[in-house]
Amino acid sequence: MLALALMWLDSHFPWLQPARYFTGYVLTPSQQVAAVPGVVAEWFSESSSQRQELLTENKQLSARNLVLELRAQRMAALEAENIELRELLSASEQIDDRVLVTSVIAVDPDPFSQQILINKGGEDGVFIGQPVLDAYGLLGQVIDVMPYSARVLMIADSNHAIPVQVNRNGVRAIAVGTGSLDELELIYVPNTADIVAGDLLVSSGLGGRYPRGYPVATVTRVDNIPGKSFAVVTAEPSAHLDRSRHLLLVFRQGAATVPPADIWKGQ
Amino acid sequence: MDIRAVILIGCGLFLAFVLEHLPMPDILLWLQPSWVLLAVTLMVLSAPATFGLWLALPLGLLLDVEHHSLLGTHILTLVVHIGLLQLLYRRMVMFNFLQQTGVVFVLVMVQQLLIYWGVALVSENVAPVTLWGPALTSALVWPWAYALTHFVMSRLHLS
Repeated sequence: MLALALMWLDSHFPWLQPARYFTGYVLTPSQQVAAVPGVVAEWFSESSSQRQELLTENKQLSARNLVLELRAQRMAALEAENIELRELLSASEQIDDRVLVTSVIAVDPDPFSQQILINKGGEDGVFIGQPVLDAYGLLGQVIDVMPYSARVLMIADSNHAIPVQVNRNGVRAIAVGTGSLDELELIYVPNTADIVAGDLLVSSGLGGRYPRGYPVATVTRVDNIPGKSFAVVTAEPSAHLDRSRHLLLVFRQGAATVPPADIWKGQ
Repeated sequence: MDIRAVILIGCGLFLAFVLEHLPMPDILLWLQPSWVLLAVTLMVLSAPATFGLWLALPLGLLLDVEHHSLLGTHILTLVVHIGLLQLLYRRMVMFNFLQQTGVVFVLVMVQQLLIYWGVALVSENVAPVTLWGPALTSALVWPWAYALTHFVMSRLHLS
């Protein structure tokens, strides 16, 4: 009965969150030890790389760095222009997001949930609802914080949804996870909406959970079924959900609290 | 209790939690054995008078945090598991490996089913569980875990 009461409390109220957090301290040593094989395997893989491979990789990275430097230079000019335009519109200035680099230490063994564990937790300032990115796009959000680790729900999880917009024309939609790591589904997209395969979907920032403008997915297929109100649109996540090892936790201005689920009410 | 037994139990539980957490290749995710449940089974069979239902509270809490399940889910399953073991342990210790393997298979299946039912009872967010995968691998691991435990216990002269 106690167990059932605890389950009911935990599913309806956030009161047991501190108990969960402090239990995390006890679990930390076993989680750290469980991560050792992965770290050792990575170390071996890095140390056994051939010199030629490293030289090739170095050349590739130098070239990529050059391209990125060039883009960064253009970015500076664009950012200045953007600020100027925003000032003209009397809009608030967008400040660069602060980020924290983290590594994946485990993947949830439950095949029905797409969750990962990262090696930064409450002691590093990680909070529930915090957006997580990899080098290619939005990966998910933090759903559980322990002292030295945190659990991230990936955008491909079937319980996850994210508001997005088409980068080309600003059409808004909601991308929900399908449970498969390489596919998202766009729901409630009218048959007449201007979305085509190849469109880049970026986070729209609506709902206040995710920052605006980060790549989320690329549309792979649009099926307009006659007689149905909505089109069936599938997209492939931009983030490498099954491969990325190093991730970024985004700290935004004014994002320290999770907006309540009924934020839309009374507006 | 003998200090060596306490150290053995501590190490066993630590190892069980490490293995429970161990990253697995995608293809093997369905087959992750319930290591902590196996450790609890070994503990209850070795000292049924010491390891009673109280064990369900701390270990269940740790498992709930480990698996990010609703707090209480694994406490419930461990209470049932330990309760069944307390009823069955006299027969279990007389069983041969094959019979024990069968019992472990059923017990892990029951645990998976209880997780599903428990969550369905109190929450509308019900995720399906893998019923037979962990039960099968736990049953296959059981004879080895049982033999290893008894080997270590005999080397340490623990009854």
